[in-house]
Amino acid sequence: MIATIRSEWRKLRFRPAFFVSAGLVTAITALVYFLSWYQALHPSTGDRGAVNILTLFPDQFVNQVMGAGAVGAIYAGSEFSWSTLKTMFTQRPGRLTVWAGRVVVFSLWMGIMAVALFVAGAALSTVVALFQGHAITWPAGIDIAKGFGVIWLIFVVEGAIGLGLGVLIRQSAAALGAGLIYLLAVEIIAVRFIDSINSGAYQWVGNLFVGQNATALTQSFTSPAFGRTIAPAISAEHAVLVLAAYGVGLMIVAAGLLRLRDVT
Amino acid sequence: MRLTTTRPATPSVIVMENTSTTIVETHGLTKRYGSGVLAVDSVDMSVRRGEVYGFLGPNGAGKTTTLRMLVGLIRPTSGAATVAGHAPGHPSGLARIGSLIESPGFYPYLSGRENLRVVADLARVNQKRVDEVLDIVELSTRAGRKFGTYSTGMKQRLGVAAALLKDPDLLILDEPSNGLDPQGMAEMRKLIKDIGQGDRTVLLSSHLLGEVEQICDRVGVISNGKLVTQSTVQELLGEEGVLVRAQPIEQAQEVLTRIYGAAAISRQDGAIHLKTKPENSVEINRQLVGAGIGVSELRLFERSLEEVFFQLTGEKQGS
Repeated sequence: MIATIRSEWRKLRFRPAFFVSAGLVTAITALVYFLSWYQALHPSTGDRGAVNILTLFPDQFVNQVMGAGAVGAIYAGSEFSWSTLKTMFTQRPGRLTVWAGRVVVFSLWMGIMAVALFVAGAALSTVVALFQGHAITWPAGIDIAKGFGVIWLIFVVEGAIGLGLGVLIRQSAAALGAGLIYLLAVEIIAVRFIDSINSGAYQWVGNLFVGQNATALTQSFTSPAFGRTIAPAISAEHAVLVLAAYGVGLMIVAAGLLRLRDVT
Repeated sequence: MRLTTTRPATPSVIVMENTSTTIVETHGLTKRYGSGVLAVDSVDMSVRRGEVYGFLGPNGAGKTTTLRMLVGLIRPTSGAATVAGHAPGHPSGLARIGSLIESPGFYPYLSGRENLRVVADLARVNQKRVDEVLDIVELSTRAGRKFGTYSTGMKQRLGVAAALLKDPDLLILDEPSNGLDPQGMAEMRKLIKDIGQGDRTVLLSSHLLGEVEQICDRVGVISNGKLVTQSTVQELLGEEGVLVRAQPIEQAQEVLTRIYGAAAISRQDGAIHLKTKPENSVEINRQLVGAGIGVSELRLFERSLEEVFFQLTGEKQGS
């Protein structure tokens, strides 16, 4: 197992997807920060689209970076090649050991992406604070740790969707496309439809989707600066359980497919 | 030989344990794909330790599918197989097998050396071995270049290097000369010959008859998924003989039949094929000339592997 992890890490550290997804996460964070900053400095006449400048300072950066980077995670997960699997599966370890090594290193990779996101958020919030002449204070360590855990979990689950689709479709570009279409369109439409049936009688089904739980979990990190008053419909505990189930379930299904399928 | 059933996921596959001199043995090995295509049909194949075994067949005959089954990449629909003393794909067996199946699968963004290091980690091989195998395939000077920039020949060489990392007892090479230019093919042949020296067994699939004839001790010929023959190259080529062209041909045949018997003689394309040692050519000539027959051609007759191959596979030469 150690050998498998070492091998996976050796090939991962120079993998373009590693840098692209980390760059994507950082770029999205920067875009969100700068657009929000612009909006905060140029408020519209109504409440719509108003951004409180206080949300962009370092003490709020954990709340601010929530929700970025899903695209990067899917991209990372869907990076898959059957021709190299052929080489890997004909060495010493069994298929499940190879897969377990990949999952461990992938989870580590998602941790590094979460670090990239946090570093970007902290740096950008510092830039905003310096320009605005605001004091630089940081969130409590426990809040940073919780925030990091949530982001990592969301990345792993969204990455697992990419991994699962990569194994299922055996084609990374198609897996990436399918993953994005699912998260950005199919799931949203499905949840809206389910919520609308029978006056919301089946809302609990909608509450089992990945996007709903990821959103609820990020919204659980709130502060008065964001002006949020309505509590999310899904509790943070529920969201963590559902997301963890998705992550584990997808990894197991992908492992089963790898174990049973012919490598042609 | 003792039969035991293993791998519950494939109930129809029986694994044979044996202590004989064979390193690969299959019985009734069959692969039928979901689409109904019968890719490999009841193949009984045995590869002996230390030999270079040529697995011959036209494109689409089932060579690659058979080799994929032997390394555990695909599961047989039915049949039995033992490779390096274990079921195909068993980690203990894989530890003793090096393989290059079809095209080499490596990471294009890593250098040749880094790719081998990834494989060495996975195979639990000392990293020092990476430079040794790069030397063997003569890629050391270009090992720092990214795999994606390699020529076809370099990719094939790297594939062979990866297969050699474990210093395997059994080396399975699937069409290693594919895509190589004539010089590359000659170099690959030399490399395989060198690798096949000593105790190591090489199982080489190819549709290049000249390659197999030059390198291999024994061959198996597969056609339409069936193994149609398995023997030494010499056995396959059959006895040598003498080809005679003479006038009048009927009279020449009478003379030769009288001396060598009817069983030794056959007629083909206006010539007489005589099963006898080439050293008898002088005597044959003397007898024919003595009988007043004009001899226009008298030479060693030897079937080529190509002729045998086309005969066995039922394919037409030049088609």
